Amino acid sequence: MGKHKAKFPLPFWSLWAVLVFAAGLFIAQPAAAQETSQYCLGCHGNPELNMTLPDGGVLSLNISDDVLHNSIHAQAGIECSACHTDIQTYPHPEIDYGSKRDLSRAYYLTCRRCHSLNYEKTLDSMHAQAAEQGNLNAPICTDCHGAHDVQKPDEPRSRISTTCGQCHSEIIEAYKDSVHGGALIQEDNPDVPVCTDCHGVHNIQDPRTEQFRVAQPDLCARCHADAELMSKYGLPANVYSIYQLSWHGVDVAVYKSRWPTIWHDSAVCSDCHGVHNIRKTSDPASSVNQQNLLGTCQKCHPTAGPNWVGAWTGHHEVSLERTPLVFYTQAFYSSFTPVVLWASIIYVVLQIIRSTVDRVRRSLSK
Amino acid sequence: MSVPQPVDKSVSIIRTLPRFTLGQRWEHLVLLVSVAGLLITGLPQKYRAAAWSQQFLSTPERLYTIQTIHRIAAALLTLLILYHLGRAIFLMSRRRLPGDMLPTMQDVKDALGMGRYLLFLSKIKPKFGKYNFEQKFTYWFIFFSIGIMTITGFVLWFPITFTRILPGGIIPAAKLAHSTEAVVTGLFIVIWHFYHVHFERLNLSIFTGWLNDKDARAYHPLEFERITGEPAEPSQTGENP
Repeated sequence: MGKHKAKFPLPFWSLWAVLVFAAGLFIAQPAAAQETSQYCLGCHGNPELNMTLPDGGVLSLNISDDVLHNSIHAQAGIECSACHTDIQTYPHPEIDYGSKRDLSRAYYLTCRRCHSLNYEKTLDSMHAQAAEQGNLNAPICTDCHGAHDVQKPDEPRSRISTTCGQCHSEIIEAYKDSVHGGALIQEDNPDVPVCTDCHGVHNIQDPRTEQFRVAQPDLCARCHADAELMSKYGLPANVYSIYQLSWHGVDVAVYKSRWPTIWHDSAVCSDCHGVHNIRKTSDPASSVNQQNLLGTCQKCHPTAGPNWVGAWTGHHEVSLERTPLVFYTQAFYSSFTPVVLWASIIYVVLQIIRSTVDRVRRSLSK
Repeated sequence: MSVPQPVDKSVSIIRTLPRFTLGQRWEHLVLLVSVAGLLITGLPQKYRAAAWSQQFLSTPERLYTIQTIHRIAAALLTLLILYHLGRAIFLMSRRRLPGDMLPTMQDVKDALGMGRYLLFLSKIKPKFGKYNFEQKFTYWFIFFSIGIMTITGFVLWFPITFTRILPGGIIPAAKLAHSTEAVVTGLFIVIWHFYHVHFERLNLSIFTGWLNDKDARAYHPLEFERITGEPAEPSQTGENP
């Protein structure tokens, strides 16, 4: 007995058993899922199948075979009962949902069984807050990702913005006309921001808060301070660093480091360029096009006259062509400052040397 | 004018000579207070990206208070300038403006002479009158600096009003000039003026109005001779060497 035990110890057998079982799962699961879903579709493939909920809403119980099998879950071999955990066979247990929305809001919790991290993130989101405040239309997983037809959410990339646009319809219209949205939808541009690039994905925050506002230039800078990315489109990458030196930029930086929770009115990118409707500065419809600039300044400086726009040096380095007055002032001080200071220092040091030498000489001659 | 001799050796009698009028002393005091106030409230605004400045500003309300103090000090300085210029123009119209402070060819000669003396090329220090070239340079440097600070300061105070007539480019140019000139002038006062009135010798005549006999002989011999009619070189009967 002892000999046998030594030859084939129990752990060996268990490992073998696990490996065989796992291999079996790999081979068998897709087939099993197909079989399960075929079994379910035996009834749910019927287009007529539906039930009336207590609120009078008619819930279709029909699942299209095509839609189901094109979903990313079906392709990964995930079977019906992975989500419909309470249904194992027929007859199904009684369901008790007042409305379709009730059903969705109860069923989406099943997503968390596999996607727990993303689920946790949603709890911290603006959408979850809306739901807590009683808005049952606040989106849940399936509203954005779909249920039986779940797809990769970012293929094509424009799918993301279209998804958000299902509810945020005015914003998506503005975005489609913008330089970012236009490039996304017409050219499938891989670089322009989609909704989630700025707003986050599952933990989307309220963009109207002090904190969001004060950090907003950094958000734009993620792309617009990236020299490699900007050179691809012939855009300067120093717009952010120049902004940081500007009146507005310094103000915002102070608020950001000292008072991030206090509202400030100093202009951030979106105050002048727009938010979802950002256009090229050369576009006559752009809020920062030379023709519209005064009106944009007047949003905060209502009494400003036409010359006022000249006070804004733009996101440009100081240059003779663009900002001659600043250029000459800078040129003057770049020589005046060192001349005055060095001359004073040298003169005073010479005086100190001379008076010290004189004092020593006098004390020696005494 | 004879100097009375002390009865006891432990007593020294210091003769003082008039140097500044009461009005001039008040002008300097107002200038000092307003410029100090402007620098204390202005520098944290210029360097408001720096941590020390934010410590000082601490809240948006404090920043607002500091800006208000800056503008009150600016208004005070403006009044002083108007008084100073107004008085100069008034005296000029009566042909009574003293010319002591005007730069002359003698100042250039004095500066060159002082240069030779400081570089050990000459043993003789130039003899100065009431205001030496260092003091004239201080006056005129601060005169033009305050001119720049006042003009640019008002442009920054009322930017929208100024750009009704002038091009918008004056705003960033004024901001650059105001903030750079302030630092240059502040450092100039510390290096140049503080050395001459605190370290070279403690010269409080701008506060007291009087300059003592010894300093007058040493630093303003021509003025000493003009007032007293005596030679500035220490005489045999004069004070200790």
